[in-house]
Amino acid sequence: MQSRKVPQPGWNLEYTMWMFTRLSGLALPVLGLIGITAALVMGARTQMDLGTLMRWTFFPNVSHVTSSNIPDYVPWGGAFWQIMQIMIAFFGFTHGFNGLRVVAEDYTNPGFWQVFWRGIIFLVWLFSLLAVIFVIINS
Amino acid sequence: MEVKLKVFRYNPEDDEGKHFDTFTLEAEPTDRVLDLLEQVKNYVDGTLTFRRSCAHGVCGSDAIRINGVNRLACKVLVQDLKSKTVKIEPILGLEVEKDLVVDMEPFFRHYKSVLPYFVNDDPPPMKERLQSPEERSRFDDTTKCILCASCTTSCPSFWINEEYVGPSAIVNAHRFIYDSRDQAAAERLEILNDQFGVYRCHTIFNCTDACPREIEVTKAVGEVKKAIATGRLE
Repeated sequence: MQSRKVPQPGWNLEYTMWMFTRLSGLALPVLGLIGITAALVMGARTQMDLGTLMRWTFFPNVSHVTSSNIPDYVPWGGAFWQIMQIMIAFFGFTHGFNGLRVVAEDYTNPGFWQVFWRGIIFLVWLFSLLAVIFVIINS
Repeated sequence: MEVKLKVFRYNPEDDEGKHFDTFTLEAEPTDRVLDLLEQVKNYVDGTLTFRRSCAHGVCGSDAIRINGVNRLACKVLVQDLKSKTVKIEPILGLEVEKDLVVDMEPFFRHYKSVLPYFVNDDPPPMKERLQSPEERSRFDDTTKCILCASCTTSCPSFWINEEYVGPSAIVNAHRFIYDSRDQAAAERLEILNDQFGVYRCHTIFNCTDACPREIEVTKAVGEVKKAIATGRLE
């Protein structure tokens, strides 16, 4: 049986965030895999313990490997790893805060309280993201 | 065998409020829960109010909560219940009018909102609008819905927010969206691509468990979400 095409409905917040949640859910483990693979290539197998490797995998910040036996920290820092950290923070925070928004909207109807909770969640998301980007850039 | 029937009671015209009455009845293991309710109404307390029509699992009018889960009273046998105390309550999420009767208006309002009828503006052919067996089988599952509201009233998203269109309405939209002869799939997808459309479904499968016709309700909701995301009806 052949599939039929149907005009897609227009984009809205619900659809956009529904898609984003799925794509970010895929992106986060892929970014983690890139982190752990690169760490193993850079010598993590013999130069750091498992805990340090896991911290790096989930957030590839150079401060996570300073207590290991890595002789040269230069490959573990730099713009590439900063961009990776920002991407992980963006996908993770947005995924999580959108989950909070969905929970809040399960319990509220359109109106004041829905706008209020959306606003609070948006502001906390924005503040958290800006704070983490500040820390990444200055670490 | 002796069965204790603990029944939710509410009469807006008296001062007793919402409470439970317990009836001790003699029942055969092959009796249905509906038979127990009929026994109470006919021989013990004629004021007990509940809906029933065909009594054979076709009309869907006697959907109630039996020991905490949504079932049709006419399809559940006493011998299949794990306890000799049977707790009977109205389905959740809809306002109780009296005893086990709830106001179905919000449920049917959502049902009507998804255009649950065949739409095809082409001139009708001389004989019939042909469809292959494969095309017909694509939406076979969702044709089985009897609008009993068991699925919608087992859904926590609906309990919390009555504006959610609910699984039953999505199932009935699915039935026509995937019908190869129908021409209003895009309109139905547009209606369901809404804050209170498919996105309030968090796939907890209560609806699939509750359906007395064994429709794969959560799967149908997922297929509608997929159609919205891809623009393809596969």
